[in-house]
Amino acid sequence: MNIRKTTEKIVEGVLFSSSTVTTVAVLFIIFFLFKSGIGLFQDSPVEKNYAIALNANNPVKNLSAKQIKDIFNGDITNWKQVGGKDGDIELFTLNELGSAYTEEQIGSNLEHIPTCLNEYVKQHENVITYFDKKFYPRNFQGKVLDIPKISVIDFLLGKEWYPTSTPAALFGVLPLIIGTLFVTFFAILFALPIGLITAVYMAEIANERTRRFLKPVIELLAGIPSVVYGFFGLVVLVPLIQQTFNLPVGETALAGSLILGIMALPTIITISEDAIRTTPIVLKEASLGLGATHWQTLLRVTLPYARSGIMAAFILGIGRAVGETMAVLMVTGNAAIMPHSLLAPVRTIPATIAAELGEAPMGGTHFKALFALGIILFIITFVFNSLVEVVKSKKEK
Amino acid sequence: MSKLKVEARDFNLYYGDFQALKNINFQAEPNTITAFIGPSGCGKSTFLRSFNRMNDLIVGVRTTGETTIDGVNVYDKSINVDELRKQVGMVFQKPNPFPKSIFENVAYGLRVNGVKDKTFIEEKVVSSLKQAALWEEVKDKLKKSALAISGGQQQRLCIARALAISPSIILMDEPASALDPISTAKIEDLVYELKKDYTIIIVTHNMQQAGRVSDRTAFFYMGDLVECDDTTTIFTNPKNIQTQNYITGRFG
Repeated sequence: MNIRKTTEKIVEGVLFSSSTVTTVAVLFIIFFLFKSGIGLFQDSPVEKNYAIALNANNPVKNLSAKQIKDIFNGDITNWKQVGGKDGDIELFTLNELGSAYTEEQIGSNLEHIPTCLNEYVKQHENVITYFDKKFYPRNFQGKVLDIPKISVIDFLLGKEWYPTSTPAALFGVLPLIIGTLFVTFFAILFALPIGLITAVYMAEIANERTRRFLKPVIELLAGIPSVVYGFFGLVVLVPLIQQTFNLPVGETALAGSLILGIMALPTIITISEDAIRTTPIVLKEASLGLGATHWQTLLRVTLPYARSGIMAAFILGIGRAVGETMAVLMVTGNAAIMPHSLLAPVRTIPATIAAELGEAPMGGTHFKALFALGIILFIITFVFNSLVEVVKSKKEK
Repeated sequence: MSKLKVEARDFNLYYGDFQALKNINFQAEPNTITAFIGPSGCGKSTFLRSFNRMNDLIVGVRTTGETTIDGVNVYDKSINVDELRKQVGMVFQKPNPFPKSIFENVAYGLRVNGVKDKTFIEEKVVSSLKQAALWEEVKDKLKKSALAISGGQQQRLCIARALAISPSIILMDEPASALDPISTAKIEDLVYELKKDYTIIIVTHNMQQAGRVSDRTAFFYMGDLVECDDTTTIFTNPKNIQTQNYITGRFG
């Protein structure tokens, strides 16, 4: 008697702790994601320990990360373009310092670099310089630029993703967000009709034998590892697209959409089929009893009744496509540009994280930016999953 | 003797290997109400559903013999089942309105049959609702969902829906079994009224109901049509001992 009670207590304890551990793990992961990601907005786009400085007489007070990048890339060449006086911008980094001063002036142990820097910046009105803070001159007579921290707006609405550009990295994730939604949209556009037709066929038209064959096949489709889909896409789909549309490369948004569409099919088919099958037989009988044909019954009674289930299938399919990483990474070409055509490469959020996390220094700005991308992805999928709940609860009313 | 509306001749029905109806012979005259009674599983609902071939939906159903409506065998190969079902209205055990508006429920049968004329549909909806004694209760909420009215009203709505396609026969499968006594009384009054225009066959578990509304009663047992006669005869002077036992409540 006592032993049984004790056993029950132990089992209860195990059940309780396993559910607690699960919950805590989920919360911890979310906490970790947010903690790592939010840190991005405490960082400056310029690498730590580096400074950007101008001549003290230059009226320009601050530059955005994008302006800095454009200046150092040679896309902006005149101070007028960034609100200064007319005058060609002169870039001055340690390379230029090496050619402007002799080895003797610099010193054998580079000990005179600060002095040279100070002097050069003082003498050249149009100079912009970028240097390691360990060379920071005493009594520096240049003007060190105050670089604003990365703002949420720049992050979300920035159109350029150059996470490793120096001196200032650009973390504009708009192309990645749009890229993700773009690929997903076309994936669903392609998967929804096919999935719905298959579901209708399986639920309403196929006989029991066909259904018993089809159902496991489609469920098997869901079990194939995504890297296999990616491989298939890379080897079959990509060359096919390249040849068909006569493109320089076949790694395009189209390839990603097709692969994602195929991957979302099992979700869409199984859930909509279940929804269609839940339509009460009495409603179908009522319709048939009034002389409606099988098709009329399907279109006017069965599908409207299953509408919310089909919506849920559709949204879960989107959720599946949004978060998919490997296959997309392999076939979309991964160019972080605003998507403009199905036949151009795009880059999605998950593919960006997977491709870049390995090369981003732990705890650095790039690293944090990738986590911030993770937060965005989390929010997108969270919204879609919540939508499913909303759609479901509507049906219950 | 007037012309027969409904008839079954040596009718057998099998679900796979199981014979659900055994050699049924049955007749019903126009503008009569026939009640089918019998214990659960005796085949009365199955037989009812044979007149509009609702049993076709079940996989593995086979029939032999004939059931005829106006002398035409409904199981003949030339019969279009959808056309057949337009002549035969059906009311089910539980009210099963579509999750649409009250108006659309009644209009459904017309719409699926290709009626486009708006005025005709409106007139037909109104007249069907009046015929089903529901008009006064719903005339102000035709656009409201049919699921928002009471169960008894829903069942009368289902009757109105069946009437809208102008059938000549109405099949009712325990139409009041899910309703309270007041709603049941309303349905019974309605059934009695409808007799003027339609031939009605009603399956019921409720002996009193059969006694109250029907002209003739058929007793089914284990797939056999045991006895079919005027309702008063069945209830006062049944010829068969099984019928008598069932009616007096000794089994069933």
